[in-house]
Amino acid sequence: MSPQSFTGRGRRRQTRRGVLIAERVARILISIGGLGTILAVSLILAFLLWVVAPLFRGADFEDGGSRVLAASSAGESTPIAAGVDEYQVIAWALGADGVVRAWRLDTGELLREERPFGDVRPTSVSLPLDDGRYAVGFEDGRVRLVHFAFLTEFLDPARDVELAKKLENLERATWNGGVVQHTPEGQYRSQSLVLEVGEAVDIGARSSLLAVDAVLGGGTTRVFAYESAGALRIAEVERKENVFTGELTESVAIHEVRWSPRSDGVAPARVLVGGAGDRLFVSWRDGVTRRYDARDVENVVPVEEVDLVDGEGTLEAAAFLIGRGTLVTGDSRGRMRAWFGTKPENARTADGETFVRTHDILEKGAAIRWISSSARGRSVVSGAADGTISVAYVTSDKELFSSRVEGASGIDAVLLTPKDDGLVAISAGRIASWKVDLLHPEATLAALFRPVWYEGYPEPEHVWQSSSGTDDFEAKLGLWPLVFGTIKATFYSMLFGVPLALLAAIYTSEFLHPRLRTPLKSTVEIMASLPSVVLGFLAAIVFAPFVQGVLPQVLATFVCVPLALLFGARLWSLLPSKKYVQWSGTQRFAAIGLTIPLGVALAWWIGPLAERVMFAGNLEKWLHGGFGSAFGGWFLLLIPAAALVFAFFSSRVIDPWWRSKQRGWTRDTAGRNELLRFVMATGFVFALAAFAAFGLDTAGFDARGGVLDTYVQRNAMIVGFVMGFAIVPIVYTLAEDALTSVPGHLRLASLGAGATPWQTAMRVVIPTAMSGLFSAVMVGLGRAVGETMIVLMATGNTPVMSWNVFDGFRTLSANIAVELPEAVKNDTHYRTLFLAALCLFAMTFVLNTVAEVVRQRFRKRAYQL
Amino acid sequence: MTLTLEKPAPKPAASAPRRREGRRITSIGAFGEPMLWLTGGALAIALFMIVGLLALVVHQGTSTFWPPEVWRVDTVDGRKFLGEVAATDTYRPEPSALDKLPVEQRPRAAEFVALSEGNSTREMLRTGNFDVSGTHFTWISDFEVLQRSMPEWSVVVERLSWGRFYGEPREFRIGDEVIGRTPGAAWARFQEHHEACLERHAEVEHLETHEIGAVNDEIEEARLALRRLELEKGRASPEYAAAEAATEQQEVEMRERFAEIESEIRALNEENARYVLVMATADGQTAELPAAEIVRAYPANQLAWSERLAVYFSRWGEFLTDAPREANSEGGVFPAIFGTVVMTLLMSVLVVPFGVLAALYLREYAKQGLIVSGVRIAVNNLAGVPSIVFGVFGLGFFCYIVGASIDDLLYAEKLPNPTFGRGGLMWASFTLALLTLPVVIVATEEALSAVPSSMREGSYACGATKWQTIWRIVLPRAMPGVMTGMILAIARGAGEVAPLMLVGAVKLAPELPVEIGSAFPFVSFHPERSFMHLGFHIYDLGFQSQNSEAAKPMVFTTTLLLIALIIVLNVTAIWVRGRLRRKFQAGHF
Repeated sequence: MSPQSFTGRGRRRQTRRGVLIAERVARILISIGGLGTILAVSLILAFLLWVVAPLFRGADFEDGGSRVLAASSAGESTPIAAGVDEYQVIAWALGADGVVRAWRLDTGELLREERPFGDVRPTSVSLPLDDGRYAVGFEDGRVRLVHFAFLTEFLDPARDVELAKKLENLERATWNGGVVQHTPEGQYRSQSLVLEVGEAVDIGARSSLLAVDAVLGGGTTRVFAYESAGALRIAEVERKENVFTGELTESVAIHEVRWSPRSDGVAPARVLVGGAGDRLFVSWRDGVTRRYDARDVENVVPVEEVDLVDGEGTLEAAAFLIGRGTLVTGDSRGRMRAWFGTKPENARTADGETFVRTHDILEKGAAIRWISSSARGRSVVSGAADGTISVAYVTSDKELFSSRVEGASGIDAVLLTPKDDGLVAISAGRIASWKVDLLHPEATLAALFRPVWYEGYPEPEHVWQSSSGTDDFEAKLGLWPLVFGTIKATFYSMLFGVPLALLAAIYTSEFLHPRLRTPLKSTVEIMASLPSVVLGFLAAIVFAPFVQGVLPQVLATFVCVPLALLFGARLWSLLPSKKYVQWSGTQRFAAIGLTIPLGVALAWWIGPLAERVMFAGNLEKWLHGGFGSAFGGWFLLLIPAAALVFAFFSSRVIDPWWRSKQRGWTRDTAGRNELLRFVMATGFVFALAAFAAFGLDTAGFDARGGVLDTYVQRNAMIVGFVMGFAIVPIVYTLAEDALTSVPGHLRLASLGAGATPWQTAMRVVIPTAMSGLFSAVMVGLGRAVGETMIVLMATGNTPVMSWNVFDGFRTLSANIAVELPEAVKNDTHYRTLFLAALCLFAMTFVLNTVAEVVRQRFRKRAYQL
Repeated sequence: MTLTLEKPAPKPAASAPRRREGRRITSIGAFGEPMLWLTGGALAIALFMIVGLLALVVHQGTSTFWPPEVWRVDTVDGRKFLGEVAATDTYRPEPSALDKLPVEQRPRAAEFVALSEGNSTREMLRTGNFDVSGTHFTWISDFEVLQRSMPEWSVVVERLSWGRFYGEPREFRIGDEVIGRTPGAAWARFQEHHEACLERHAEVEHLETHEIGAVNDEIEEARLALRRLELEKGRASPEYAAAEAATEQQEVEMRERFAEIESEIRALNEENARYVLVMATADGQTAELPAAEIVRAYPANQLAWSERLAVYFSRWGEFLTDAPREANSEGGVFPAIFGTVVMTLLMSVLVVPFGVLAALYLREYAKQGLIVSGVRIAVNNLAGVPSIVFGVFGLGFFCYIVGASIDDLLYAEKLPNPTFGRGGLMWASFTLALLTLPVVIVATEEALSAVPSSMREGSYACGATKWQTIWRIVLPRAMPGVMTGMILAIARGAGEVAPLMLVGAVKLAPELPVEIGSAFPFVSFHPERSFMHLGFHIYDLGFQSQNSEAAKPMVFTTTLLLIALIIVLNVTAIWVRGRLRRKFQAGHF
């Protein structure tokens, strides 16, 4: 209460409690909300990085230690085949003595040991067939197909008290010659090795089979075998099950291959069958390998001869990758290389295919003893004579893992488990195991961004083909075709859109009546908010078919409309001065507006004419190539170049002379002379272009095959046009803002000094607003890079890298939209798509930051004026 | 008399450069007319393009539903077609095109083509009758035509399945009894009974969706409760055994109810199946169309102008309120409109408060400096990041991580079917809110900085706190800008399709995300459901339809709807901005 107040009324001098609380609360809430929002927005980048990072991490290998393999009664023997079950509990090996042994993987305890072949000794074994069987060749010249299968059973310990006792607190236990595991789901799963030995097949050989391989094709197994007597045979073993009686009948068809042994009489060391049995490789120890075309079993022909070790060392190990297309070889120099057949254009072989070395995977010191490949992907594992094992991924040439097993007498066998989740090595009576997570071997920076030699391709290429129907598919994750597509789309859309937008902005800010500016701005805003899905739909369903039907006319429009405008300008200058000034507003704009349909009409008339004269009557056919002269294409491409050259030449040489002449003319004379000059200049430009085109054509250069090629309905030109239309409003608005914010007094000063509006615009306004215009273009560029829907609908979505303007393409953004919903969460493909999103994010971020920084500086400078 | 022309007095030397005193004429080149025309031309081209595009969409979109006449075309090789003309075009037929005709007709046809300089006009006739003929459209060239006519009794039938049917009514049957034998009589009888059939059909649909749906829901809930119990207590527990028994009992009851409803449905369907309109196609084949399958039918060549208008408006009504049929190429887009509206509403509810908060923080509360400028630049840039990146983030983070965690915590019994672990309305709204957030932040910041600091300072001088100033002085004056930003963001969000392809828009959603039921609570909200969206509908119709020619007109109409929606939003933004600006115009110092 203030005793000194005039009215005697008191007044609180303290702020109400509520207000203070509201203040505090508001501050806290707003700070949290604001910071939280900003953090949420930066979460995007962090999340993208988090998903992409594991792509470049190496594979995880966890050492599981090594154990001694329980010695058997029959003594030691080197394994000629080995395997592990999918749950990694049992490992088996077929020894050179014909004994099959199975051990418990984690302890080395011997589970089984038997002689399934009796006393006959196996002399050779094939690579694993698609169904997991092996063809084993014996010393008596016969072949058996053996299946090392695993039987999985689920047991009930409630019924088997002994089992329950054994498994009491353990995770696994030996039981009945197999292993029982207590799974995390609470089940008792038993695994045991089951040997299915087929009947001994007589293939007509009387001596021991030194090399054998087999492939599965339908119900028939085709066995290729070499006997020490020197004959090479193919046996087709067909197993038929009688549906009614369940009786199995086996029929064998034997074909002898006509082949000539080597002059030095050395016997081949291996027989390898590639593909589905259509390629036969006979390989000697010194690396020389003959490839035979075995498509017709009755008539096997030699096709080529390759040296798999290039003259150095001996061939020690060889295995096919999944699908039997690529052969991985290991030699005594420690080199592991990959080979496959390609079809180059200049192949000199009978079947057009050459067997080429395509990947140099490893080069280590010690000789490679054993190679085995993964059953699920394109990984290989090798074991060397000094006990080193290496795991590598063939397509990306990436070594995933390398280690040394103690007991350095060399690796006897090494393999990846069926689910690619484990690695097992047998060496000198010991077994070592690792837990494996291969992660993403297909995606290395080199595999993503550099050319890779994919199976079957004639040379390393950039390819994007991320999935297909078969299991043995090689994922081709080359990002360059997509980046190229993005750049192509951006380039053509900027080519169409930026000149249009900038010129329109200049006209709007400098020459248009201020009253018209607001409705125009609203119209352009509406254009800006048109959803791009609408534009894309119209592009693909309406424009693309239409343009294909009137292609010559459309191409002519690009020349005729600017020409009509320039001609109209010259005509307009002929107006008497009073009318010229009076009509310099709406009437001039109306005249401009009228000229455009006239230009289009001209193009519509010229188009078919030009098509008949220059493109042999059918532009599309001409583009496809093969006939007609190249003159038309060069002429079209050279017109802009000739115009530029002429403009340059005229501004240097003709203009000064012209200007000096102009001083003597009246306005009318000047107008007429300008018109004349324009007509002559046009004629000259066309003549220049025609001359150059003729010259190039005669010299033998053809524009087709490069920038002009086969016409595809949904192509880069259409996309460029429509995407240009989409970025026009953005660039226009920003450019117009930049131009109108040039301070008025600069303009007035220039006009006051006697410059025409055009001179003011060219020499005062535009240079001042240059950075604003630049930033407008950058923002438009950013939008063009990220556009998805238009590209998705109006290109063919084919990831090809071609310069052809009439070809389709696929961009990063469209690719993500199409493939991400189908990608399996967290696998390589998924993460690669996130990498593509990260690339897009980075590109637009950089562009927009540059634009923003430039814009801020421009603002500061403009205010200083 | 000779006429001599007096030579005019020679002008001072014209070739030497003249020095004129005083008057200086600006040379024509200085006016830069050509470049000026080029710039003006660019503007004119841009305007032509916008106007042309809109005109194209409006024209195609509004003419889709207009019922045209039905033509009967007999060709020279004896085939007969009945249908509406959907498109015409001119082309140059290859010589081999005439090989389709019988030999005796070829010379006449060749002559015909030669008369028009090798060009020929062809029409695409929508002949429908897919179940009989195997095609929806047929191209007929002018040299194939023998005669054309407009039969009086050609009727256009829109059906629930198999698309359109064009033919003449032959008879109308109820059960085994034929009660109309002439086209006129059959049509009249059909008209009498059609309403009742449609009502019965609607009843069947209601029974199927709601009644049977309710039974299925109860069974599903019981199963889920059982599974929940299993996860909590374990299979071997007594509670589980008791619940299992109870569920089995319940299932028996449910099956009884199910059988009851089914018999009701069967009865209705049997009754409906009795009413059959037998129609004949142009080439004489007959087809029996159950009256209940017929959505709309009209004798196209007998309609007066007002009746055509009625059909036109009824089709528009169906378009706006009905669900789609025939793989989205017929029927309506109501689920898409509903989905778009609900998603946009949800998105704006999320975006506006957070955007305004963030802008307030940046402008009013944060200490201005390098960091805040950096944040501002970053937010500006995010406005330019491609929308597909947001979609990727939405799918990877919201669906697969946050959604999967929600599923593990709250919906474990439904696994492995994901509830929130896949795209749906909620995640789509979150994603689009994130997408439009930078736009709102930037617009609000601009609006806040446009409020002159003199007003703020005046308020502080009067003793107001910061919050009071913001709430009573700054925000009201910034409102026009905020509203503009909000509406522009909404317009942008309504039109974005790319992120929605990844997070939840589908070709055909079986149920709406908001359901209105008869029991309490009357409105149930299911944000985890997938939804349909107008923009995605356009993409899907245009590119993933089985019958893309029939879908094309529908796409135009949907495009028209979407553009209209966005234009309305923009115009509202401009109007609101104008209103609010005028309101606060006087308030400047």
